[in-house]
Amino acid sequence: MPSHRIVVDASKSRFSLNLRELLDYKDLFLILAYRDLRVRYAQTFLGLVWAFIQPAATLLIFTVVFGRAVKVDTGGIPYPVFAISGMTAWTYFAFVLNQSGNSIIGAQEMVKKIYFPRLVIPLSKALVGFVDFVIAFCLLVLLMIIYRVSPSANVFFLPVFVVLTIISALAAGIWLSALTIRYRDFQHVVPFLVQFGLYATPIAYPSETIISNLPRWGTVLYYFNPMAGVVEGFRWSILGGAPPGQLAYLSFCIVIALFISGLIYFKRVERIMADIV
Amino acid sequence: MSDAVITVGNLGKKFMIGHQPEGDLRGSFTSKFRRLLGRSDVRSQEEFWALKDVSFEIEQGEAVGIIGRNGAGKSTLLKILSRITHPTTGYFEINGRVSSLLEVGTGFHSELTGRENIYLNGTILGMRRAEIKKKFNEIIDFSGVEKFLDTPVKHYSSGMKVRLAFSVAAHLEPEILIIDEVLAVGDAEFQKRCLGKMDEVSKNEGRTVLFVSHNMGAVENLCTRGILLSAGEIEIAGSTQKVIQQYLEGTREGIFDLASLPSTGSKQLVFDSIEFLSESRYLPFSNGQIQLSFLSDLEVRIRLRPLKNTKDKVYVAITVKDMFGHKLITLDNLYIDAPFYMNDDAFITASCCMDEVSVNPGVYVMDLWCSNGFETYQKIENALQIEVLGRDAFGTGKVHHSSKHGFFYQKHKWKQIH
Repeated sequence: MPSHRIVVDASKSRFSLNLRELLDYKDLFLILAYRDLRVRYAQTFLGLVWAFIQPAATLLIFTVVFGRAVKVDTGGIPYPVFAISGMTAWTYFAFVLNQSGNSIIGAQEMVKKIYFPRLVIPLSKALVGFVDFVIAFCLLVLLMIIYRVSPSANVFFLPVFVVLTIISALAAGIWLSALTIRYRDFQHVVPFLVQFGLYATPIAYPSETIISNLPRWGTVLYYFNPMAGVVEGFRWSILGGAPPGQLAYLSFCIVIALFISGLIYFKRVERIMADIV
Repeated sequence: MSDAVITVGNLGKKFMIGHQPEGDLRGSFTSKFRRLLGRSDVRSQEEFWALKDVSFEIEQGEAVGIIGRNGAGKSTLLKILSRITHPTTGYFEINGRVSSLLEVGTGFHSELTGRENIYLNGTILGMRRAEIKKKFNEIIDFSGVEKFLDTPVKHYSSGMKVRLAFSVAAHLEPEILIIDEVLAVGDAEFQKRCLGKMDEVSKNEGRTVLFVSHNMGAVENLCTRGILLSAGEIEIAGSTQKVIQQYLEGTREGIFDLASLPSTGSKQLVFDSIEFLSESRYLPFSNGQIQLSFLSDLEVRIRLRPLKNTKDKVYVAITVKDMFGHKLITLDNLYIDAPFYMNDDAFITASCCMDEVSVNPGVYVMDLWCSNGFETYQKIENALQIEVLGRDAFGTGKVHHSSKHGFFYQKHKWKQIH
């Protein structure tokens, strides 16, 4: 509910995240996510099964290409388990990226007609994507049981990496939703980014494979990808192996920097959103 | 500080027209680059002030009507006060819980059921889940769609959708209510109920209402005070009567070209021009007004231009209203079922003849409407004004006038029986 005293002054502009207001709108955040979920598989025959088929199909093709044909060295871990552990975090990131870019343009009828903190829109998309994340995670657990892979002792770090995954997805989502309003060019960039990221992130292969074939500057560049470190850490916490290297921390820092700068940029664009959307 | 609930000071909103504000990356880069090179931006930019130096105060419990022609800045003002867009200059302060209703059914999703949409729309309008739950039965009763509560809204008729949407809106309980012209939708009977509900709200519950409308009748009934905006500035503020009078006087000029008048509808067929013939001569327009004499004959010729090739039926209606927007008469070929027919892209000329114009002398406003009987092609409100001039029709030197004797003259006879 809007606060009881509203003051707007065009001559003053200061940055404030206004978390309290955002909390006031949590019902809206939840119901928008509910709407997206309900509508997503409306009038489909398979319904929620689709959320399962999509990662399963990608996993199958990865297993055939990278597991069988190319024979990627996974350090003794059965390939499907290796790949799905990377995909779990990536699927979520890719979903949020895909959905957020267009989210505010898609909600323009609302944006032009009513006030609410616009951040609610990309945030609700991130909640919707969590369903996909849970399904992919179930697939991971299922495969670990089938292949009799027990979780590593690092599993206590898993929540940290789940949170990092979410922050990373939010960071990219918030940036893209604000950018797309100003520059529709980003509508064309997003699908490309997702496809590019799928290969520029150690999902289907371990990062060592690529690092050993790149010059030093190439490796640094590789870890500028915010998901590179997150996916690696996510996999490490579940399956063990070598801990994320120094450069992975660069990746984590990028995530945090992107998140904070994204929020600032979003807030700046927020006040002109209804005018330019 | 005064006890004003809404204080607005020097509010202004500037838009840049002439080119897309920040449409693409290239434009933004090139202009930055030019600035870097010290060259001025060659793209032409024109400033347009949609709102300029607007200041007013509204006190607790007041119902204020904001009127003005299309493009006068009414919607911009409401959008700023609703915090949808940010002002370029000035400030405002609002004390109290605000709900703004610039549209009914914001966020409605056609795949969701009526029940789900009530929750969705209610939340978007700022109600809490628990609050909606509490009022749920009331909302359904008001809407009259309880039978279809669990049907996806896409199967609703447009009327049902509007009723459901309005019922949600009518159950908002803010201290301050900001309403744009939302009553333009929905059937007449439902509109009346909504107006009644709003009236009740502002008068009985001491709620502050800010109301934009073209419906002068509604503004007159609901509002205690009026603000007339023109070209983004306040032209006059004061009593509702005075403000409406000034507005209607202003609309006398320039409304004779039907094709360029503001209108609503699907526009598959549009009004092109209108002519008036009386006593075998064309009546001249002056400032969008014609003058004719009391009890003279009249023929109205309306030319319509199809924008779609079909052979649909065409119904036309002329509604005559008084200066306050109360409807007095409608002349139409719908209720007598005598349709005209579209013949692909040929113009249609419709003629409406009256032997005697029996409205009393006074000034009247005319609305025009055309349709195929199901959807409105075009509706032009306040298309033009007609002044009926007094004339010594009875040879007595006495002349009726609408302000004293009512709007109509009924042909009749008097005689003394005893």
